[in-house]
Amino acid sequence: MSNSNVKTRKSGYLATKSYTANTLMIVAIGYFMIPIVWVIVNSTKDNQDLISTFSLWFPKKWHLVQNLHGLLTQDGGLFAVWMRNTAIYSISSALGATLISSMAGYALARFAFRGAKLLESFILGLVMVPATALVMPMYLLFSKVNVVNTPWAVILPSMMSPFGAFLIKVYVAESIPEEILQAARIDRAGEFRIYWQIVLPMLKPALVTVFLFSLVASWNNYFLPLVMLSDNKLYPLTVGLTSWFEQASQEGANSLLFNLVIAGSLIAIIPLILSFLFLQRYWRGGINAGSVK
Amino acid sequence: MKFKQSLTGWLFMVPFLLVVLAFLVAPLGYAFYLSTQADTLVGGQSFVWLANYATSLTDPVFIEGVKRVLIFGIIQIPIMLFISTTSALVIDALNTRLSRIFRLIAFMPYAVPGVVAALMWGFLYSKSFGPFVGIAGHLGVKDLNFYSLRMFIYSISNIITWAWTGYNMIIIYSALQGLSREVYEAAVVDGASQVQIAIRVKLPAVKNAILLTGLFAIIGTMQLFTEPNILRRYTNAVSMGYTPNIYSFNLAFAQSQFNYAAAVSFTLALVVFVLTYIFMSVSRRKAKSQ
Amino acid sequence: MIKSTKRIAGFSALALGIILSTTGISAVTQASAAPVHIKVWAWYPNMKEVVDIFNASHSDVQVDWTNAGAGGAEYTKLKTCIKAKKGCPDVAMIEFQTLPTFAILKPFVDMGKYGASNKDGRYAAWAWAQSTQGTQVNAIPVDGGPMAMLYRKDLFAANNIKVPTTWAEYATAAAAIKKVNPDQFIGTYGNDPGWVTGLMWQGGCFPYKYNMTVSAANLGIKLNQASCKKVLSYWGDLVTSKAVDDKSFWATDTGKGYDTDKYWTWVAAGWTPGYLTGQLTDKTLGKWAVAPTPQWTAGADAQGDWGGSSFTVINQTKQAALATKVAMELYPTQTKITKGSAWDIGLNSAFLYPLVTKVESNPEFANYSYKIFADQKVNPIYIHASQKLGAFQWTPIQDFIYSTLGDETTLAINGKAAWSSVLDTVQSKVVAYATKQGFKVSQ
Repeated sequence: MSNSNVKTRKSGYLATKSYTANTLMIVAIGYFMIPIVWVIVNSTKDNQDLISTFSLWFPKKWHLVQNLHGLLTQDGGLFAVWMRNTAIYSISSALGATLISSMAGYALARFAFRGAKLLESFILGLVMVPATALVMPMYLLFSKVNVVNTPWAVILPSMMSPFGAFLIKVYVAESIPEEILQAARIDRAGEFRIYWQIVLPMLKPALVTVFLFSLVASWNNYFLPLVMLSDNKLYPLTVGLTSWFEQASQEGANSLLFNLVIAGSLIAIIPLILSFLFLQRYWRGGINAGSVK
Repeated sequence: MKFKQSLTGWLFMVPFLLVVLAFLVAPLGYAFYLSTQADTLVGGQSFVWLANYATSLTDPVFIEGVKRVLIFGIIQIPIMLFISTTSALVIDALNTRLSRIFRLIAFMPYAVPGVVAALMWGFLYSKSFGPFVGIAGHLGVKDLNFYSLRMFIYSISNIITWAWTGYNMIIIYSALQGLSREVYEAAVVDGASQVQIAIRVKLPAVKNAILLTGLFAIIGTMQLFTEPNILRRYTNAVSMGYTPNIYSFNLAFAQSQFNYAAAVSFTLALVVFVLTYIFMSVSRRKAKSQ
Repeated sequence: MIKSTKRIAGFSALALGIILSTTGISAVTQASAAPVHIKVWAWYPNMKEVVDIFNASHSDVQVDWTNAGAGGAEYTKLKTCIKAKKGCPDVAMIEFQTLPTFAILKPFVDMGKYGASNKDGRYAAWAWAQSTQGTQVNAIPVDGGPMAMLYRKDLFAANNIKVPTTWAEYATAAAAIKKVNPDQFIGTYGNDPGWVTGLMWQGGCFPYKYNMTVSAANLGIKLNQASCKKVLSYWGDLVTSKAVDDKSFWATDTGKGYDTDKYWTWVAAGWTPGYLTGQLTDKTLGKWAVAPTPQWTAGADAQGDWGGSSFTVINQTKQAALATKVAMELYPTQTKITKGSAWDIGLNSAFLYPLVTKVESNPEFANYSYKIFADQKVNPIYIHASQKLGAFQWTPIQDFIYSTLGDETTLAINGKAAWSSVLDTVQSKVVAYATKQGFKVSQ
């Protein structure tokens, strides 16, 4: 292909390319937004309007305030309890996962100890076993130590984040030079102090990433709490909303909760979307490191 | 010094190892123990070595479920990864206001719990709650039924595509952002077009990120559970062994066959393992031959 | 080998215990204090009010109620806690068809030892039979689902179509409705195994024989007998000729179909009007009526049941006597249904069909009128149906049977299997499964 040929085509080509690209992106934005728009629009409807008005436009009579009120008062205010549970479960397991995997990742990257490689592939292999296989035996083990039907049954298993550890490992290898650590050791700083005061601050973007991704993983967790928790005051949002949905589709008139399920879904997705938006700068740096390798 | 290093390394690993031991190795060990037992409703428990595994390998319900998710994966994963990769290349090349908005919105479904996504799409697919059936009716497609035996698998793949395309795109995009500009500035000087650069320079450079997303997609697809399980009230399509994971769930919790259910889960894990192994070696060989 | 794997399991539990104790978790031991608290899992609608009534009127015992999920969701948890021998509630709600499935795991307290009996015909006889095994009382019946036909009175009248009293007339009416409007149906084949079992029951098909007290291993299954096949083939013909629709009952669109003239009838249970009311708008509320289930033989009086549930006491309880009391008195024997009483909520808010005979035969109950049926007093029809119900047995593998029946029927609906062979296929799959589970199956 000759040079001149490319040049003559280039400007016209760029224009059409961004035209096509822009159109495609707008279409894709529409696609990704449909469920969100739907949930926003329909959280303003009562149960009658839900099935009798056009589903992508607002109703004549706004019912948003009533729905939110209903959400907070149904079953003695259970929704607020679920919301709080979800926040507690996911924040504590995300904090735990971040701390634990940062230590492990740091160790894997900077201490060439025996068996590290083997350990890595062993854990990766184990992760391939589906959760349904794990939950049942986990329940049996947990019940032996009286942890079933307590928050711990949900929080502790979610602190395990092999991918978090690998992400940190990659990040440490790339961004924390061995020399800094050696210098600190010469100053006779203890290993844990080095980790806590020097390594951790340098890991910030990776930590935020691991935190956010663990947060999402446990915020969205459904199967584990479904089996572990039987007291509905301990449910997280996912299990609670599903129980309302089942009730709504099973009982009809007795408790038509579709409007609440929809309003509840809206409230359930807002916190995560916001945290991703506001922490964008950090997590993108973190993923960046993880995906290069 | 070396010993001390090694010891410190292990010490830092302790919390992680404890968690893995307690919440992965212990339950897995226990599950494996369960899977070597036969437990019939009448007659009680007995040790049967690997007989449950042999049964699962010839169990038509299990095989049908595996086939279904395999076909599902063969169709859905390439489409999703193609969209993810193309989008990543586009937003990497453009960096306009629109592309930034697109990037955020495409990623947003990742933050939506799988359960909620299934609920929302479940409503959208319905004729009375959602727009699609009505719109299709106006366009002349009569009786569009997202829940029919034939359609349901596509309805599910749409939910999965919606949920994960943006996530995969971000991973590939981040890898693209990590490339040093020099790599393709040379190509620009050579007069290569943006598309040529994208295909010849950028794509091979982020091959690992794409492989990673492929790997996650395979594992996720083989373990498909939440979406069909939530929507089963709406459709007759979700049979007892619709996916291997649903089968294992039904075995354990509906039919009290905990032992066989454990064996089915391990067999599934084995299938996943073999598949990912094949996937990795094929893609490596391909990369080498290029 | 067994020993060593057991040791591994034990060791992992120990390791887990150490980790948990180092992270500061310890089991909360509850100090026992009067009154005794009884844990109850149930998913009856408006349960909270019923529990409040119970708690207000009892000082020795208080109910801690949890909705642990409806149907399968609760059973999942119940199975796990039975398996773990720990963590079960004292009292759990279980549907009739699922009772033997649990009973074979031996989790129930024999409530007969604590005063539960059917003295004076306290509970509907057919339900009591399903709640007991020989002399052992496994469950206290609460609500049932005697079947009858819901139909659109106005549409049948306006189009001069006879309201069917036999299944033959039902098929004729189905064809007539298609002529009125090809987009309308006499009903839908919802492919709900519980529903079709109710219809088979009404058709004289009693496929299961199981009695744990005689022998836990002997199981009679004959799903492919003529009386069962007759029912399924009948519906198969209607579905194949598109005289009835094939949408699931529980899809939201089906609910709307009842409000938009798409479906004219629903042969359904005593609790169904409550469900249906929630799907309807003012457009069709008041236009519905109830007639007895169509008969196979003109003038006959055969009835079926779809659904119903009971309270069981799980043997992990430390308070079997009080738990039995709770199971019996949450929905108590009431001679008068006063406003705000447990059964007032059960009947008028939750739309349960009562299996407590004093409530069922109460003149107040027979006289209730509902918005969906305008002036018609419908309860006498359901009461008659319930009282005509004979014995019906279930199996300990009911979930497998229901799943298989549902899956095979789905294939038939989609033209991938012949309707006439569905029950043969189900029969052979079920027999194979049961045999593998160690049952001696008689066909």
